[in-house]
Amino acid sequence: MGIRFDSVTVAYDGNVVLDALDLTVEPGEVMALLGPSGSGKTTALRAVAGFVRPASGRVLLGGEDVTDLPPYRRGIGMVVQSYALFPHLRVDENVAFGLKARRTPRNEVRQRVAEALELTGMAGYARRHPRELSGGQQQRVAIARALAIRPRVLLLDEPLSALDARLRSGMLAELARLHRELPDVSMLYVTHDQVEALTLADRIAVMDKARLQACGTPRELYRSPDNAFTASFVGGANLLPVTVGAGGVDFLGTELKVDTAEAVAGARATLCVRPHLVGLGEGPNRITGTVAEIQWRGATHRLYVETGGHRVMADVRELKEPPLHGEPVTLHFASEDAVLLPAGVSHG
Amino acid sequence: MLVHSRKARWALWAVFLVLFLPLFALPLLVVLGASFATHWSGVLPSGPTTANYHAATRGEALQALTTSLVTAVTASLLALTVGTWAALAGAALKKRYRRLLDAVFVLPVAVPSVVVGLSVLVAFSQPPLLLNGTRWIVISAHTVLVTAFAHQSVSAALARLDPAYEQAAASLGARPAYVLLRVRLPLLLPSLTAAAGLCFALSMGELSATMMLYPPDWTPLPVLIYAATDRGALFTGSAVAVVLMAATLLVLFAVSRIRTRASYR
Amino acid sequence: MAEALAEPRTARGGARPRGGGRKPAAAPRSPGALLWALPPVALLALFFLYPLALVVRQSLHPDTGGTSLQPYSDLFASEAFRHALWTTVWLAPAATAGCLVLGFLLSLIIAFVPFPGAKAVARFIDVYLSFPSFLITLALLFIYGTTGIVGSFQFLTTPWGVLLAEVTYFTPFVMRPLLAAFAQLDTAQLEAASSLGARAPRIVRQVILPEALPALAAGGSLVLVLCLNEFGIVLFTGAKGVTTLPMLVYGKAILESDYPGACAVAVVNVLISTGLYGLYRVVSRRAGA
Repeated sequence: MGIRFDSVTVAYDGNVVLDALDLTVEPGEVMALLGPSGSGKTTALRAVAGFVRPASGRVLLGGEDVTDLPPYRRGIGMVVQSYALFPHLRVDENVAFGLKARRTPRNEVRQRVAEALELTGMAGYARRHPRELSGGQQQRVAIARALAIRPRVLLLDEPLSALDARLRSGMLAELARLHRELPDVSMLYVTHDQVEALTLADRIAVMDKARLQACGTPRELYRSPDNAFTASFVGGANLLPVTVGAGGVDFLGTELKVDTAEAVAGARATLCVRPHLVGLGEGPNRITGTVAEIQWRGATHRLYVETGGHRVMADVRELKEPPLHGEPVTLHFASEDAVLLPAGVSHG
Repeated sequence: MLVHSRKARWALWAVFLVLFLPLFALPLLVVLGASFATHWSGVLPSGPTTANYHAATRGEALQALTTSLVTAVTASLLALTVGTWAALAGAALKKRYRRLLDAVFVLPVAVPSVVVGLSVLVAFSQPPLLLNGTRWIVISAHTVLVTAFAHQSVSAALARLDPAYEQAAASLGARPAYVLLRVRLPLLLPSLTAAAGLCFALSMGELSATMMLYPPDWTPLPVLIYAATDRGALFTGSAVAVVLMAATLLVLFAVSRIRTRASYR
Repeated sequence: MAEALAEPRTARGGARPRGGGRKPAAAPRSPGALLWALPPVALLALFFLYPLALVVRQSLHPDTGGTSLQPYSDLFASEAFRHALWTTVWLAPAATAGCLVLGFLLSLIIAFVPFPGAKAVARFIDVYLSFPSFLITLALLFIYGTTGIVGSFQFLTTPWGVLLAEVTYFTPFVMRPLLAAFAQLDTAQLEAASSLGARAPRIVRQVILPEALPALAAGGSLVLVLCLNEFGIVLFTGAKGVTTLPMLVYGKAILESDYPGACAVAVVNVLISTGLYGLYRVVSRRAGA
């Protein structure tokens, strides 16, 4: 069952927090809603669940208009950041909650609870109370509880942000496995973490300032973002203001050779280069400057190079003799690694 | 730590003891001491006896204890039902209406209990509802007085309840009534028992409205204590007062046991 | 008594789901919500508002029949009423002021200069709140009464005796919200202030007092209203010299069977108390916001 946002607008007290969102999640697809806090991504998810009422527009589930249905008639599984496990119920009672609310026959409840706990690896904890579980275990129970009702849509609202970094990557793999085992379930995954979005999603919808900024596969958004916000938010990027010339661009008087096929000569544009694709030393497309900051990050060094009032970031393999503060250096990048974006307000 | 010097700390603790003990601990100790005495004309009570308790645990006093317990339990349960209902209904209202409801339900706190007693007396001494002379007039007044407190504490607990729980329940397909019974009320249980204890204690000690209303065959403990001290039987009165305190504490303790169980489930 | 009211408002709305950076919009209201509010409101109206209205009506209907303001003009002409009004009106603020000073000092020591057993003292205060007020007067009867410890000193039959009893009984009502507020105070603030060289009195004045103001305002106004309405303490002193408005209501209604007069006093008392209580709600909402 797919999800469709048809020009959904949500406003609180005249404040527009979601502006005419048009988005379709295909059946069985994992769509990540990625954006900073306050970008409207959680609001979009809550509109699907039925906890916020759109000021205008429709929400469709599997082709059916559910905009006016109360939450309890939408048949959606939902997992939130705080898990919201019922503290007065045991794990198995938590998982059975949705089934009992639907008056499912007892035998079937027992069987489906066991199934859901098995699927999430929590079968051994059925008789425990939520407060006796770790954060990661509570998360699994929350997922089991949402899956027990066999929803065709699963909404996940920042499900991993309450976990520490190591657990998070483990849970990420778990979610990917769940998605493989439940290929018919569409998932809408709200996150502010680009790694989660890039790892898990079939497609990513990038949100900012209540609006959808871009939507595409992780590869598309990473390799060829359509705007500066997407470029910097998905993966981080150097965004350099340039003027388009013939067969290249001009950056502060330096000629850089990049693909300008889609740009108009003389126009202002933004050049996007990922930091890890910027090299230190001589090469094509040279940029010179002085080292403003250097950070050792274990396997790599991150250089911030000051040039004409701009800072260019470069991630290079750990250096034996890193340059000193204020030392002049030369950076370079390959033409095919740069993407030319229309000039916009730089978020970087 | 606010005060670092050892000397200053001791000085402050001394101030605390000098203020705290005579003001708060002494009155209770005095009542307790007097309940075991027949005379008190020096620094300490004299004439140790248990005769006061002999009088305070049978006959009239025993009847008053039963009266107080029945009144307090009935009034607390009624108040808890009405107050919780109002708090739940209020939570679903728009802000403007909720404010109004809160204001109406808190009014009995602001109105002097004596006046509540007077008004109930005036209203129910005449048709259509003739309650004067029955135990129900006392119970109604107590219920009115404690409902405000029940409503306040349940409302406060509701405001603190994380809406994520009810939303999770709704997303799992539970209708509002099911959410109320299986999620909201169980989560409110600790607050409900706390409110019940509060209502019970208030009703047990209620004197002002009761003095205006009590029929001869429905005399609660506070009235009996007043009657005893008024006729000069201070020592018997103290023993009855200790019985009142003990009964209140016993019930509060039992209620708090339920509360701990409820919050640790 | 009144612990629910004394609850600090800062404690509200603690655990809410994060995400979106905004308070979640209220779920769609069902149109039946007003209907659901009806039964409890109807009960309250029948057992509280309707009787109160009858009191107002009766205060305008003297025994001689007809409708007149006679009971009120009689009332304001009577020496006893003016005396009771004056006693009530000065006694309550004085007791409140005493409770605030004493409660602040004691709470400060419990919270910030903790000693072994400070927790037990805090528990004792909770227990203390569940006892009726007249117990204090009963105890004072032994201490200051004619047969008591201090002897034949007629202290209790003066307003000062009532003041002492009220301060004693109501101080814990101030301490409870204060202790709750102090518990929420970030100790890092105190440490920062003291590492910057501030001494204890300065920290109390500039860090603790501002944080405690909402709780002080809330507790103080509650105590003010409860003092205005206090009956048990005054009744138990048995003093003819100290008459407050609630005592006058009782006296007129039960001892003199003058119902119109009692109702008129009641109306005046209600106006003063609800006026002050309304002020308390506004102040505590402001302070809590």
